[in-house]
Amino acid sequence: MNQPNNMNNLFDKLHDLKSLFIYGEKLVPIIKSLVDFMKDTVPLLENINHSIADSTSKIPKATHQLNNVTSATELATTEILDLVDSVTNEVRGVEKTLKSFLITEEEKEKLLETLLPFIKDNNEALKIFEDYKSKSNTSNVIKSSFEALNTIKDQAYNITLSLQVQDITAQQLAAVNHLIESVQVRLSGLVSDLEVNEIKDFGNLSMPVPEGVSFDPNARYSKSDEGQQNVDDIIKTQLGNTSQDEIDKLFS
Amino acid sequence: MKKVILVADDSPTIRKFVSFALAMKGYEILSATDGMQALEMLPAEKIDLIITDLNMPNVDGFELIRTVRSNEEFKEIPIIILSSLTSKDDIDLGIEIGANSYLVKPFDSKRMLYEVSKYLN
Repeated sequence: MNQPNNMNNLFDKLHDLKSLFIYGEKLVPIIKSLVDFMKDTVPLLENINHSIADSTSKIPKATHQLNNVTSATELATTEILDLVDSVTNEVRGVEKTLKSFLITEEEKEKLLETLLPFIKDNNEALKIFEDYKSKSNTSNVIKSSFEALNTIKDQAYNITLSLQVQDITAQQLAAVNHLIESVQVRLSGLVSDLEVNEIKDFGNLSMPVPEGVSFDPNARYSKSDEGQQNVDDIIKTQLGNTSQDEIDKLFS
Repeated sequence: MKKVILVADDSPTIRKFVSFALAMKGYEILSATDGMQALEMLPAEKIDLIITDLNMPNVDGFELIRTVRSNEEFKEIPIIILSSLTSKDDIDLGIEIGANSYLVKPFDSKRMLYEVSKYLN
């Protein structure tokens, strides 16, 4: 009773085996193509590996150059600030001299006025007096010079404000440098992994900032006081509010 | 006698800007390149006010403020934060650990002088 069943099972197995052989025959050219493709891929991977290694070796030079840019702008900014400082000091010196000059001129004008009662009956002397007075406009000239000096001081102040862009760009460059260094570490890892024919998925590129380096990657340069306003809004409940009027009062 | 202000910032240009703005008003300025150097200078000098950055190597601004506030001798010194960090978390933390004012970079020197004069005049 069991024999025909066994035979049927055997035929089924043989049929399966035959199907497998037929399928295998169809698969052979595909496997061959795959092997050929892999053979072609190896030099390509070697090329990629070489390119990555080449790019990786250039990264330290790029970061070094970025650091040089920061140092150069830092030096230039400091020099400009020294010059602005010097100009401002000179302006203050001129202002001081003009102030004492103005006092002397005002005293002279008062003295001149005291002469008037003595010459009021002498038409010729009176005419000379009036002529001299109309030409002697020194006080007004000095007063307008003060305005010009104030403009120079304001402009010098604006220069210092604009120069703060150096600090902000330095922080942005430091952030870029850190990113480049992170890429270098990942690429170096990729090179060694390619050499052992294994590629890892690195996922996120973010890396801890090394010691001795600090920057704010979100630092932005803006002349508007929007940033300070936001800070004031956040802390006004804790520290009280500062109004522009109060600040202006201090400098008026 | 001149009031002494300690400026802690790793940026030489910012140290220069602050000195430029404050020296003009007759304050004496001392500079530190990070929080560590600032802490070393505190016992050696009579400091009336501290202006500090937050992002600094070695000892950052937060740590500097915490250390100053936990020290009996220096805890009353007014501290002004000068930073480009503007997130609510950073601002709240700065004030919570004891800063008296918070200024944003790039700063307006008139505003800085106003804040300084609040504590020193």
